[in-house]
Amino acid sequence: MSAPRWRRMARSLTFRLGLIYVALFLTSMLALFGAAYWIGVYQPLLREADAVVAEANKLASVDGDEGRGALIAALDARQRTPGHRHAFHALVDANGNTLSSNLPSWPDEAVRGWRLIEADLYASGEEIDYEALVVERRLGDGARLIVGRDVEDIDDRDELFAVSSAWLVLIGALLAIGGSFAMGAAVGRRIDAVTRTARRVMAGSMTERIPLSGTGDDFDELADTLNLMLGRIEESVESVRRVSDNVAHELRTPLARLHADLDELRMAKGAKERERLTEQAIAEAARLQAIFDALLRIARIESGRHFAGFARVDLTALLADAIELHSPDVEAHGQLLESAIADGLEMEGDRNLIFQAVSNLLDNAVKYAGEGGRILVAASTKGGRIRIEIADSGPGIAPAYRKRVKERFFRVPETAGAPGTGLGLALVAAIVALHKGMLEIGDAEPGTKVVVVF
Amino acid sequence: MQILVIEDDARVAEHIGKGLKAAGHVVTQESDGRAGLLRAAADTFDLIIVDRMLPQVDGLTIVRTIRATGDATPILFLSALGEVDERVAGLRAGGDDYLTKPFAMSELLARVDVLARRGPAIVAETRLSVGDLDIDLLGQQVKRQGKPIDLTAREFRILVYLAQNEGRVVTRSMLLEHVWDYHFDPQTNIIDQHVSRLRQKVDKGYDTTLIHTVRGTGYMMRAGG
Repeated sequence: MSAPRWRRMARSLTFRLGLIYVALFLTSMLALFGAAYWIGVYQPLLREADAVVAEANKLASVDGDEGRGALIAALDARQRTPGHRHAFHALVDANGNTLSSNLPSWPDEAVRGWRLIEADLYASGEEIDYEALVVERRLGDGARLIVGRDVEDIDDRDELFAVSSAWLVLIGALLAIGGSFAMGAAVGRRIDAVTRTARRVMAGSMTERIPLSGTGDDFDELADTLNLMLGRIEESVESVRRVSDNVAHELRTPLARLHADLDELRMAKGAKERERLTEQAIAEAARLQAIFDALLRIARIESGRHFAGFARVDLTALLADAIELHSPDVEAHGQLLESAIADGLEMEGDRNLIFQAVSNLLDNAVKYAGEGGRILVAASTKGGRIRIEIADSGPGIAPAYRKRVKERFFRVPETAGAPGTGLGLALVAAIVALHKGMLEIGDAEPGTKVVVVF
Repeated sequence: MQILVIEDDARVAEHIGKGLKAAGHVVTQESDGRAGLLRAAADTFDLIIVDRMLPQVDGLTIVRTIRATGDATPILFLSALGEVDERVAGLRAGGDDYLTKPFAMSELLARVDVLARRGPAIVAETRLSVGDLDIDLLGQQVKRQGKPIDLTAREFRILVYLAQNEGRVVTRSMLLEHVWDYHFDPQTNIIDQHVSRLRQKVDKGYDTTLIHTVRGTGYMMRAGG
């Protein structure tokens, strides 16, 4: 189990980001130290080396111009001159005899360029350690002239650098690793929260939501968006579940009645009884067929297969026709229908479907306005869009149900006994959606107001 | 009447055959598109009933082929594809009427009746009369026993369609298709209410009834009943 876990950790983005962070941190620390070393140690050494080279050249020319004695005198004088940096030298003839020196030792082979060597001075019985930068000149007769200056201060700095950089890098690395772990853990925790929630939702717990940290950071924003998405999914899953439950119920009921009728028919005695049962069975079959047709029709409209029938529709005439079709129904209920339909309303659409939608809405209005109720049909253009309003003076629909009445088979509990398939508004909604319109169920105070905007 | 039925479902074909025979028709049946087409070409029929979805050759092709030969035999489509655009496709191919499965036998018989007896006479008619009712198609006026009856435009169209099919059953969906130019499914018995309003004006106060209800099916206009 530990190997996959390790591999999983190595794959994890936060772990890799942590590693990259540590590497970057160390690299930048090294670069900083390099730059500091360059400025604080190496550059001063180079400057000192230039000075010592100039001195050596000058002394070598003294030897050439004025002879060995003058050189030795100059070296002595140089050694005694008080100054910021102590002067070191060694003059060794071709045979290896020391002619003059204040250096404890020097390299056996010739020094090329410049070099740092150890130079100890004895003063009042004590030994003082110095680091000396030396250059070498070979004189005319083969003698070696080694001259130098102490660079102890620079060397101290060098050592300080060496020690402190080692410590700083060590501490820095520890901090970086610790920091990256903490950061990785913090990010990982948030990601884990998302993963956990997603898995629980997948396992069927649709109500799970990703916890927010409350800081409103980008993780919160992500979690919020994902939560909204989960909400939408839950809603649609819920509505699909409700619809399929309803379909099962609405289809089973007439099927059961049909079954019962046929069963009774088998045992029925007398022509009259037979006819009654047959009629009843046919009516149930017709009801089943009507539900089935409406469901298919909605599915077909929703899948957009109806676009072929789109053409210019004279909505003013269509609304008048729909009102005329329903007028006997309105009169039979002793209702008053008022209409305010603007002239010349035209739109692109499928006239049969639009007529079906308007007819369904009028049907509902007549059904719910009640005996002696009032119905208002209004249509006008507003801001380039057509607005159709159909209001009744019935009991209205409670706000909680206004959205759900568009669902297949949904019925407001109080009207559950009313005739119909519960598919009328669902069909209207599908037709309106096909025409890219808006369907709104509102309050007519009192009553229901349905607004369709195309 | 000689009727050719091209239907591949044995149970439905048997049902149709029985119903038509019981109504006094002579029925020839074919169960696939190719055989149906050959039969339609070989013999003469008064009416052809064809399913839209058939093996070998589909219903639309059969009808197009029949019409391409100049044969004007009335054709009734029978199909499970009942959507408006499907019906339009069938009628464009040359069908005269379209019935959606499942259907009631009474509906099929009513349509068969209307289709088969639909003669050229209707085209030339300017006046119709049923019993003591007179309809002036040009002037859009209706009189019964010489007394004018005031009808709305829609009531007039319903009356004309019923009168044109005097003695034949007219179903609610036939009325919807011919009188209203919209193809849709009314949620309620809205057609009945229109017919009953028409009846109030045409039949009320007279000894004889002209517009009769055919139970479970539709209406029929008939003098002296």
